[in-house]
Amino acid sequence: MVKSSAGFAAGYRTTMPSDQIALETFDLGYAYAPGRFAIRHLDIDLHRGEVLGLLGRNGAGKTTTVRLLTTLLPPTEGTAVVLGQDVRYGGRALRSRLGVVLQAESLDFVTVERNLTLYAFLWGVPREVAKTRAEEMIELFELGEARRRKPWALSGGERRRFQVARELMHDMEILFLDEPTVGLDAIARRRILRYLKERARHGLSIVFTTHILHEADMLCDRIAVFHLGQLLALDTAEELKRKHAGAREVSVTFTAPPAPEVRTELARELEARGAVLLERVEDLGAPETKVAFLAPHAEELLPWLSHWAQSHSLELERMSVEEATLEAAFLGMIGDLDSTPTDEAKGRLRPSGALPPGRIGGLT
Amino acid sequence: MKLPPLLRLVVRNFASNLDPLTIIIRFGQPVITIVVLGTMFSSIISTNVTGGGSYTAFLVPGMIAFQMITGGVVSGNLFWLDRRWAMVEQIFSGPFRRSEYLGGLVLTTLLFALVGVGIMMLVGLPFIGIPSLSPLGVATVLLTVALGSVFFAGLLIALGTRLRSANAYFTIQSFLQLFVIFLSTVYYPITSNTPKALAVVFYVNPLTYAADTIRDAFGGTLGIADLESLGVLGALAVVAFGAAIWGFRTMELGPIQ
Repeated sequence: MVKSSAGFAAGYRTTMPSDQIALETFDLGYAYAPGRFAIRHLDIDLHRGEVLGLLGRNGAGKTTTVRLLTTLLPPTEGTAVVLGQDVRYGGRALRSRLGVVLQAESLDFVTVERNLTLYAFLWGVPREVAKTRAEEMIELFELGEARRRKPWALSGGERRRFQVARELMHDMEILFLDEPTVGLDAIARRRILRYLKERARHGLSIVFTTHILHEADMLCDRIAVFHLGQLLALDTAEELKRKHAGAREVSVTFTAPPAPEVRTELARELEARGAVLLERVEDLGAPETKVAFLAPHAEELLPWLSHWAQSHSLELERMSVEEATLEAAFLGMIGDLDSTPTDEAKGRLRPSGALPPGRIGGLT
Repeated sequence: MKLPPLLRLVVRNFASNLDPLTIIIRFGQPVITIVVLGTMFSSIISTNVTGGGSYTAFLVPGMIAFQMITGGVVSGNLFWLDRRWAMVEQIFSGPFRRSEYLGGLVLTTLLFALVGVGIMMLVGLPFIGIPSLSPLGVATVLLTVALGSVFFAGLLIALGTRLRSANAYFTIQSFLQLFVIFLSTVYYPITSNTPKALAVVFYVNPLTYAADTIRDAFGGTLGIADLESLGVLGALAVVAFGAAIWGFRTMELGPIQ
């Protein structure tokens, strides 16, 4: 099945045979009250073995999207096809092929170890397989000391690790992770991300929501950026950075401080090229060797700077351009929009972070 | 062998939420009531009031009827805790139908209530006399408690789907239990001395229907009135469980306190 990009989505959607597509959405939307949408006009896809990151502010629609794709919420507009099945009718058969780590902590009142085996039992995993997997998960997620403790006696990080570990007790084709690394230390986070990357390499498709942008940068093959319930962009991290990271910091160091009038001239020239100086005008007279500024097309300025220095008989010691970050790209996309929401978006706004009141739907 | 999803849920209900202490207390409390209250009050309550037998013999069927509340409360609380700790949503995201989750709660209720009936019978029959219960009587007792427990489970699940605070849920649940138990014929019969208003309340209480039917089953005096009582209990069970299904279908997911 081939699909074209639509709506706000600025990224690419590759032509893929349907058996290589894990999920696709078609103008997907969910209204929690008439005319009040948590998510709307969503067109995304996920390939087999791909990691798709969902980024956005609190309340942007990421969790609603996960709940729609995992059949926890029925779409009120459009639809989604997950593993070849329409989410509206997939029911149990579809859910049995998915894994879901919810944002909310969910637990049973037994020890960590028993929680793991009990969850595997719920999924129909044979007892011996469950025992082996529980040991693997306890080892992988460093839950050895906590294995005999009940979940409420765990730290926040341990609980989150436990929750991810528990979901990996059963087989699945797509894993949905809603902010799985909240509260984890850097080492635990890297360990989990490495493991997920490895699983993706072996064919597991992953949908991953996070607020930690460098995490998304590290793990995700593509990233969908949400804002006020709409998809702003769907692309690789590199493309998002290239298109949206905006101005980057450039610093130039001369071997000797330029004369104040030369620094002022440089400032004027840079500003004429769209750069913004990172020091006050009155400080330009100080005997500084360094000039720092923000420039939208930083790389393009470097040859000009080199030429300008030469023409003023100044020797350059060092020139550096700050690396484009996903955070800068994200802020570039969200920042401006956030201050001027459209009328439609204003009508949809709900308290930041609040989940839309979802109705469960039929007893299917 | 892989159990059907419904049975896996029932096993999980018992394994995850019912620790041995809870089970002992839930079943132990009515046993203690039979032994302590029965012994205490048998000497001071006239057999005229209790219909000819000892107060213990009067109390045992009441305590058996009480098991419908025990079973209902177990399921109501299970559901509440699952909702509070997001296990409802977690289970719904797995290979289960929502009807199976509800069915699992009902089966858990029935198992708990009927095991309770068995224990109460073992404890209570020596006080009443074992031959007093016919096969029809046993079937009536089991059906009565089954319908009653489904009624209470439905009521509490429906309540659990609407409330978002643990305090509110447990306060209302305790109040309901108190109201239903003490305004019924579990502990004392309706006599000519019972205030009229109170007697009306007794008669709209499903536990009264259950206790009286079970007493008739033990006394070998089952009749049309008991059939009507079973009909009322059945209708109430359907209404309460219908409310639970409705609540279930329309409840809000997401974090609660």
